[in-house]
Amino acid sequence: MTDVAIALDWWEDGSEGAISAWLVDDGDRVEAGVIVAEVMNEKVSFELFAPTSGIISIFVPAETPVVPGQVVARIAP
Amino acid sequence: MTETTSKRRLTIARAMSEAIAQEMERDPDVLVMGEDVAKLGGVFSTTTGLLDRFGPDRVRDTPISETAFIGAAVGLAAAGMRPVVELMFVDFFGVCMDPIYNLAAKQNYFSGGQIQCPMVLMTSVGGGYGDGGQHSQCLYASFAHLPGMKVVIPSNAHDAKGLMTAAIADPNPVIFMFHKSLQGVGWLGTVLGAITDVPEARYEVPIGKASVVHEGTDVTVVGLGLTVHHALDAAKQVAGRGVSIEVIDLRTVAPLDRETIRASVRKTGRLIVVDDDYLSFGVTGEVIASVCEDRSITLRAAPARIAHPDIPIPFTPVMEHFVLPSSAKVVAAIEDMMEAGHD
Repeated sequence: MTDVAIALDWWEDGSEGAISAWLVDDGDRVEAGVIVAEVMNEKVSFELFAPTSGIISIFVPAETPVVPGQVVARIAP
Repeated sequence: MTETTSKRRLTIARAMSEAIAQEMERDPDVLVMGEDVAKLGGVFSTTTGLLDRFGPDRVRDTPISETAFIGAAVGLAAAGMRPVVELMFVDFFGVCMDPIYNLAAKQNYFSGGQIQCPMVLMTSVGGGYGDGGQHSQCLYASFAHLPGMKVVIPSNAHDAKGLMTAAIADPNPVIFMFHKSLQGVGWLGTVLGAITDVPEARYEVPIGKASVVHEGTDVTVVGLGLTVHHALDAAKQVAGRGVSIEVIDLRTVAPLDRETIRASVRKTGRLIVVDDDYLSFGVTGEVIASVCEDRSITLRAAPARIAHPDIPIPFTPVMEHFVLPSSAKVVAAIEDMMEAGHD
């Protein structure tokens, strides 16, 4: 099981971002390196990549606030 | 059945930058220029990653002078390069329209084919996020009306990549319009329908060919860009009441695919056109005229159109959304048209 988390260095701690769109669905098979979501903070976009291949389980829906370090999904082999 | 192939869904922004990157890889004559396209990757993320990959000679930030850099792009194209130049907001066309419609669009014709213009002018269109009358316009018709240039607008990522690839390969000037609401850049809102599977390999979507994106039998609804999504939402809503809508995504404004539109209305007998550009002297009128002048088509109802009224786009969100097309307005037009037939 591999965590998919918002990177700690994407933006200053304290402010919230949000996942603007999931590019995969819960339960999809993903390949390592594929973009799984777009994340927004203060008009800047970030791309969330799948760290490994496997089946993704999404915990945080789009448009909900997220902070650096937060685990938003997991990938099971 | 388990999903064995992994999906590869991209936003329109990603699809555009991927197409440009692939063509830059293939052809050293392709270059990118515009305001904030290099370091920032484009204010609408159209050129993400290109500077890092291809360097500052081929990906250039320009000064804030459309008059200068659009003219420069036209000249580069005349000299045999293939520039992809970004006009940040289509609303700014006023200061650079002469090189576009009098040079780029005419030099091939005036030179008897000796001086071509393989330029792609990509530009953001559309509003709905409170940017006011000079940053929210569409102007599809303003460009489509003038001979010598092609005008395209994708409604989804798959078509965005294919149209951009086709546009770069095209020896003619192509105005590639991308709708701000559909880019997939979070701060402009997200239209999930625009995020689609995009093949990694190179492919083209033919310019000049509309697409039937939803088949139906009762009413043909024609849209472009964002309004395709309004039409698809409306199709879902009225399906529950037994009304079957055929939705056409123009994809190309000029040259207009009249054949696909006519074939659809020949079948359904009813036409609604949805356009977020100004109402009069525009796309809606052209589509309706193209259908009405075809003697082989019998209409079951007078055509209807939904467009932005002939006023400057309001700034305050309440007023702006009051005047913009929406899926609710499309549903109302469909119901009104179906009711009119039951006298």
